[in-house]
Amino acid sequence: MEHLDLLRAWIPGRLDDFLFYLLAVMAIPMALGVLFDRTIIRSGFLLIGVFGSICGLFLVLQAQFLALAQLMIYAVGITLVVVIALMLTNPKLEKEAQPGTAHQQLGSFLVAGALFFTIYCALRSESWPLSSEAVSPDVQTIGMALTTTYALPFEFASVLLLAALVGAIMLAKAERAISDKEEPSKEAGEQNQPATLFERDTTVSSTRR
Amino acid sequence: MIANAAEIRKFTILSWGWLTIIFGLVWAVSWLVGVAIPLLLANVQADWARLVTEICQVLTPLVAVMVFIPINAMFMVLAERRALALFTVRKGPNRVGPDGFLQTLADALKLLFKEDITPRGADAFMFTLAPIIFFAPSIFGALPLLAAVTNNHNLFQVVNLPTGIFYVLAVSSVPVVGIVMGGWASNNKYSLVGALRSAAQAISYEIPLVLSIITVCLMAGTLDVVKIAEMQKGGLLNWNILGGGALSGLNKYFQALAAGQADAHQMLSQYYPDWGSVIATVVLIACTVLLVGIYLTGACAEINRIPFDLPEAESELVSGYNTEYSGIKFAIFFLAEFTNLFIVSTIATVMFLGGGDCPLPDWLNPLTNPAVTQPVGKFFSFFTDRIHLIDPSTFFPAIWVIIKVYALVFFAILVRGTLPRFRIDQLMAFGWKRLVPLSLIIFVLVTFAKGAVRLHV
Amino acid sequence: MFDWVEQLFRGIWQSIVGLYEIRRGLGTVAMHALRPPTTEVYPDIVPPLPAHFRGRLALTVNPETGEHLCISCRQCERVCPDKCIEITAHKSPETNKLELIDFKIDHGLCMFCGLCTEVCPTYCIINTNDFEMADYTRESLVYDLKKLTLTQEESAYYFDRKENPLPKPKPAKAAPAAQGAAPAAAGKAATAEKPAPAGAGQTAQTKAATEGESAKEAETKSPDAQVAPEAPPKLSNDEGKSDEAKPENESGEGPRQG
Repeated sequence: MEHLDLLRAWIPGRLDDFLFYLLAVMAIPMALGVLFDRTIIRSGFLLIGVFGSICGLFLVLQAQFLALAQLMIYAVGITLVVVIALMLTNPKLEKEAQPGTAHQQLGSFLVAGALFFTIYCALRSESWPLSSEAVSPDVQTIGMALTTTYALPFEFASVLLLAALVGAIMLAKAERAISDKEEPSKEAGEQNQPATLFERDTTVSSTRR
Repeated sequence: MIANAAEIRKFTILSWGWLTIIFGLVWAVSWLVGVAIPLLLANVQADWARLVTEICQVLTPLVAVMVFIPINAMFMVLAERRALALFTVRKGPNRVGPDGFLQTLADALKLLFKEDITPRGADAFMFTLAPIIFFAPSIFGALPLLAAVTNNHNLFQVVNLPTGIFYVLAVSSVPVVGIVMGGWASNNKYSLVGALRSAAQAISYEIPLVLSIITVCLMAGTLDVVKIAEMQKGGLLNWNILGGGALSGLNKYFQALAAGQADAHQMLSQYYPDWGSVIATVVLIACTVLLVGIYLTGACAEINRIPFDLPEAESELVSGYNTEYSGIKFAIFFLAEFTNLFIVSTIATVMFLGGGDCPLPDWLNPLTNPAVTQPVGKFFSFFTDRIHLIDPSTFFPAIWVIIKVYALVFFAILVRGTLPRFRIDQLMAFGWKRLVPLSLIIFVLVTFAKGAVRLHV
Repeated sequence: MFDWVEQLFRGIWQSIVGLYEIRRGLGTVAMHALRPPTTEVYPDIVPPLPAHFRGRLALTVNPETGEHLCISCRQCERVCPDKCIEITAHKSPETNKLELIDFKIDHGLCMFCGLCTEVCPTYCIINTNDFEMADYTRESLVYDLKKLTLTQEESAYYFDRKENPLPKPKPAKAAPAAQGAAPAAAGKAATAEKPAPAGAGQTAQTKAATEGESAKEAETKSPDAQVAPEAPPKLSNDEGKSDEAKPENESGEGPRQG
């Protein structure tokens, strides 16, 4: 960024602010769009856009590694998988959704308000000293912090991910077990060639196990 | 001698002609913007002159990339068609211009003038946005590599980031969003299926790809592409493909032997003190060779090239995610695909093949001999010192990078001419059951072997 | 118990074998780059076509004299499965023989089966080696007598290539003056650039028709000697038939026309 010094002098002290507001102007309408767009897949894509803008915010705040991790894992990895899951499930989802009753709306409004208030209080309880020093964007620093100071949260995160992986494997396994149980009835029927081929395949693998 | 010498000669002439045009133009543009304008304005004392100079220097890498991408894609399409023709005993396009030299230029012009159709029922906004999201990362993703392939030239230092390779990987994972978006917005079953396949494939194969790159970064101890390229200087034995620098002690030993030093053997025992280090070296070499294979496989899948071109399998889906696209939008998809091929080849060159390093070690290379270089340098001093047209410390590395990158591209074309397409379940099984465990095992092996031997001494 | 070890090693071995096979495939494909291309550079170099190639239909003239060989026997018209040939002829009042007025072939209908060339008694209608007949309208695919008739040189070329027996010169019973005229006509045709009997008018065609008739009569006298050894037996059969039909030819032409 030191190459932009002169440019920054020309727009005195406002380049960061300008970029921040630009990204905010991009992010907030997209976030609203995630909520209010009737097409659920469109709102999925808008969510990717929101994460992209937040990645830009991190870049403005000199947190390169965080920004790139945000882009790679949240914007592309996770949200895209969510969008694909939406595509694979019922495409007429948005048409079946009905507006809630007044009762439900009041309840959800109260819950959302309480959550917002809690988060606001939590944020205000911490002091946020403004420092002009740029945080070192070194990956080494982040790595050291993760493995020493923040080792426990890191481990918790890894346990969470492990649980998710085990859950995914269990889901896949359950399907397999059902298909194993269904096999004999299919074999008794022996209706079409592809089914028998499939059965032969699974029986071989089950004996191998 | 060779029955096909005439065709091979034509192909060679065509390739060198196009390469000269491409890199000559890029060179001229970056010199004009980055050197000539600041030189002209050097004597002007006004504020605006300094501002223009700054802006020029900031814009140079971007302009160079913007000039490079379309011409390079045109060349690569032509080279691919001609090379495939060679492999399949055909002639290839040879009608437009001398020996088909201008074929892709004509194709590009035709695509630009074609009608731009948005299908009925399509989401027009996303339909337009998709090619842009697909193409933009290939411009911005390549920027940090510019510094690495030009031996950290002053003009391109701006774009070098401390998170170098991570930035490249993160940005080059974005195009899949464009594919899914385009496939969904087209309102076409084939497009949607192609897009879903592409996403599944890209997410699966990104893991081994990133793991292989991370392993190299682990050996190098940095994410900075320029530093990784600089570490590998000094000949073939220093390259990451051969043990990630584990053989650089051997390189030093050979150098000492060639110089006739008496304590050369002592040097060898200093770098490889015990059997453990020798075993670690062998393990590292095996691991890095496998890593290159994993990287190339993952990269092939990531950019949807044969044998992993399931997203646009012509025999099943009409043309995959870009079925409904026409005119300039299709041209952008096409452009980005070939640019991505170039970018992954460049990453492989920088990370594994020593960047702009000559394969010959310094002690064998006559070109580094001062007796040769000094008179030649004097001859070109007007270009090098007065108008800064040529920077010898950038020129030769750039030539080597060009040779290596296009050799990898040619290899990709050869693979395309040879291997058939995967089936989708085979593809997933190969990715998750073979490549991911293999790259994890290599990661662990390298972590241990790295401790037993000194890398990049 | 150690199944997984065995499986692991088998897997590794299979990967090695697979990699070797892939390398072999890549090598094979790379070696193909050294073979000369099999591409036909068609518009630049026309590939050599065999003599029996069935291209555009055409009518030959006598290569020596330039007279039209068609005798208006309508065998081709009758045998054509697509009915794409249309012959207009009338009986000349003076000689009481058939005169060819027009010969139309619709190449848009023709399927290039070559049956007409096999039945032609005088080897007049032939399949040329020309196949570039693309055009903009269907009407332009209907070729008339002028477009169909070949020049003398072309006729000579195709008679030579297809090894068809050359038409006999004038029979002996014709007047000696006419016999003398034949070489003279040949000489005239050789000097002229385009003999083009089609444009020569009614009388010339009448002459050609009568001369073709007489040439055929000459053929009937020694049929076996004239049939080329390569000619299929069917052809000679046809000739035999036409020989038998010959005596009726003078009187019984009317019903055949109708």
